[in-house]
Amino acid sequence: MGNKQAVFTHEQLEAYQDCTFFTRKEIMRLFYRYQDLAPQLVPLDYTSCPDVKVPYELIGSMPELKDNPFRQRIAQVFSEDGDGHMTLDNFLDMFSVMSEMAPRDLKAYYAFKIYDFNNDDYICAWDLEQTVTKLTRGELSAEEVSLICEKVLDEADGDHDGRLSLEDFQNMILRAPDFLSTFHIRI
Amino acid sequence: MLSGGQVNEIIVEVEHVPLGVQSRPSSSQIIPEKTPVNSNFILVSSISDSDVTHSQIFSNRNDQKGKQLLRFATPSKESFSQTLHNSENTGLGTLHTSHENIQGQKLIESLIPMTSRDRIKAIRNQPRTMEEKRNLRKMVDREKSKQSRRILELNCCAQCLNSISLAYRRFKNNLSELLDSISLWQKTLKVIGGKFGTSVLSYFNFLRWLLKFNIFSFIVTFSFIIIPQLTVTQENHLQFTGLEFLTGAGYFTNTVMYYGFYTNSTIRHGNSGASYNMQLAYIFTIGGCLVVCFFSLLFSMARYFRNNFINPHIYSRGIAKLIFCWDFTVTHESAVKLKQKNLSTEVRENLSEIRQENVKLTFNQRFIRFSAHVAAWVVSSGVAIACCAAVYYLAENNLQFLANHSNPGAVLLLPFVVSCINLVVPRFYSMFRLVERYEMPRHEVYTLLIRNIFLKISIIGILCYYWLNIVALNSEECWETLIGQEIYRLLLMDFLFSLADSLLGEFLRRIIGMRLIKSLGLQEFDIARNVLELIYAQTLVWIGTFFCPLLPFIQMITLFIMFYVKNISLMMNFQPPSKAWRASQMMTFFIFLLFFPSFTGVLCTLAITIWRLKPSADCGPFRGLHFFIESIYSWIDTLNKRPSYLWVVWIYQNLIGSVHFFFILTLIVLIITYLYWQITEGRKIMIRLLHEQIINEGKDKMFLIDKLIKLQGMEKKANPTLFTLERRDLEPWGPLHVRQHDAARDLRFRRSFQEDNPKA
Repeated sequence: MGNKQAVFTHEQLEAYQDCTFFTRKEIMRLFYRYQDLAPQLVPLDYTSCPDVKVPYELIGSMPELKDNPFRQRIAQVFSEDGDGHMTLDNFLDMFSVMSEMAPRDLKAYYAFKIYDFNNDDYICAWDLEQTVTKLTRGELSAEEVSLICEKVLDEADGDHDGRLSLEDFQNMILRAPDFLSTFHIRI
Repeated sequence: MLSGGQVNEIIVEVEHVPLGVQSRPSSSQIIPEKTPVNSNFILVSSISDSDVTHSQIFSNRNDQKGKQLLRFATPSKESFSQTLHNSENTGLGTLHTSHENIQGQKLIESLIPMTSRDRIKAIRNQPRTMEEKRNLRKMVDREKSKQSRRILELNCCAQCLNSISLAYRRFKNNLSELLDSISLWQKTLKVIGGKFGTSVLSYFNFLRWLLKFNIFSFIVTFSFIIIPQLTVTQENHLQFTGLEFLTGAGYFTNTVMYYGFYTNSTIRHGNSGASYNMQLAYIFTIGGCLVVCFFSLLFSMARYFRNNFINPHIYSRGIAKLIFCWDFTVTHESAVKLKQKNLSTEVRENLSEIRQENVKLTFNQRFIRFSAHVAAWVVSSGVAIACCAAVYYLAENNLQFLANHSNPGAVLLLPFVVSCINLVVPRFYSMFRLVERYEMPRHEVYTLLIRNIFLKISIIGILCYYWLNIVALNSEECWETLIGQEIYRLLLMDFLFSLADSLLGEFLRRIIGMRLIKSLGLQEFDIARNVLELIYAQTLVWIGTFFCPLLPFIQMITLFIMFYVKNISLMMNFQPPSKAWRASQMMTFFIFLLFFPSFTGVLCTLAITIWRLKPSADCGPFRGLHFFIESIYSWIDTLNKRPSYLWVVWIYQNLIGSVHFFFILTLIVLIITYLYWQITEGRKIMIRLLHEQIINEGKDKMFLIDKLIKLQGMEKKANPTLFTLERRDLEPWGPLHVRQHDAARDLRFRRSFQEDNPKA
């Protein structure tokens, strides 16, 4: 496992290793995946920390994400400016959080942000409607969707303010141990 | 909770959850302020400072006190170095940026005293962007080096430890990289997960995990008993016919495969004097394998329990879980569409269940249901007992039967019957579903599992009883080898039946479902039944390793082949699961099953063998002894004579052989268990009280906001001019209560402004 690669400096790679859940090899593998998305855009030499953003359309066409109903939200949450265009840092961050080594709380935090469509730090009824619509793809009628949103708020809203805060969400995730294994994208 | 005079002030210090807003700075939405939360509101159990905002989540996992401050503190939008320029996003200007800075400082301070391993773990777990984490890491390193420079001269020992830990961390990283590169089947599992989701993936993960056990057992037995034995092999005079692969007898009887082949002597090569006591090696190797498996199972079980245990008091029907636990591993387009459709169906069912859950059954209906359950249990237990009796009868008469039929393949009758039972009866149990009705679907799953487990465990139990009581006592030949051969045959027949089932049976089912009876459709992968088969096979392997040391190797090959066969069959003949299957809970249950009764049963069987049975007189490493355990006794005796090993003898006599020690140990363990149980009970009560407190606070909040609105209305009437300016700030947005929140927040400006005004 020598430092034969010329993409990152030794310090950069160490920093990535310490800040994500990936090993050196995986980071390099992810870098090449990132580079494959936009070969003209992404340089093969990151020692000078170039400021390169891969546009959302390319990120959203990755096989791991292309059919995910929430791909746009995922890209928005992890991107720098919330528009879905991701730098390498964002890319690594995203897959680090979605990997199986990330702890439950970190995943719950980001899941909360993904489901919070209007970015107001609460999952309100409108956010829930968006989520349910994306999940069921138009199979349910509007009345059913609003009924579902109501039920979800009933179940999960701990302080009864009509919307879910991060604590409510995390509390609910505690009752769903499957969350750790389902909120996981393998790359 | 509220003091009257401070009503207005406290109202508006509403808990905004200031999550790291990675949204556009040019957004026209009102970005919530990062207000500090009044700690008086915060629940009693949180170990917070008043400054650090929200999320007591880390406090639930209170393993290190350093983590107390590492809750999800406000991840600032910009990196720490830019917090001072963060004026456009905070409502109250520099007050909040310095507040964030304080938080950042606190975070750094808390990270410094940690060990580097904990520090890295803490940095990784921070919900911040990569750049922020990098800067955090840099700052912490800088601070740390500043601090360590001062104590450089005093603590070269600490430096030494540091470099050792750094080297160890690098080694661990390299090791994990190596293990990852040789990790089996990563791509295949990704494809399976992509098409079928996490639940089916859990079966394959379980298979891979069991494979690791077998690989380890094989490596250990191969190194410590097979290789030494191979160096002193005797001639094998038997003829090799192809039937040995099925029966395990014949040519294989005199190979390293079975117990009978092993020598009981001390192997010596050359004049170097290095001796290898085969007896001790045999018993210690098998014992060591089992001990490692025991601890591995125990730790896996504990880890699963910790992650997946749900407090049954707060279990809900879980429509929220359906919504928020979308399976992100599914990546195939058709699978995603199917999953969306299935989710809609399930959600609809859930809704209708909720509507119907108040429907109470009449006494008649309940009685019918109850009697159906009782009848089903009686029938299933009866069938299981009948099967066991049949197996026992067949086993008893096996010897006579074999004497009458000289065909060497006749020994396969018993395994054939057992495998048939294992094939047919579980499917018969599944048919009970047509008659029994359950209130909750998971009861159905558990009942089916318990019945299957009862069947399989009783069959293994009956066979063990037969082997240990009849074969071992009555046989003239090498009874250990006989038992080893029986287990080998059982395993092989089981493997052949599984192959046939996967390749032929499921294929036929697909043909029937797609062509002939179209309404059936494709079948779904029955995870429970398959996992139970794996557990059954693994139990046999564990029992059989003592009698047939090559058995882990055979099971390794079997599992390897089964993985590919099941994978191919899955892709061809199955559709993704339609219902949510609680994979984590089920896995916890299966690992618990693997531990108890499977592994503990194995330990009991082997314990009886070693302590109570007489080894056969002319074969195997323990020939001539009265009991297997006598080898250990004689070893301890020989050690007694050597002065340098007296400590081993002391440990044996006072810790392992002494009753007092175990009595005291048991007492201590019971006391600790009781204490932990009481702590858990206390915590449950605490959780309930805190939950009620949250609800009450929510109600208080709404009440106070209402009051505030009323006050605002009254003041508006009194002072119309003061409020015209602020109305522009109120953006119409979303539901009413959000508006009220904005109103509340804006009101604080007005109140403080008004309070300052009279003073001015």
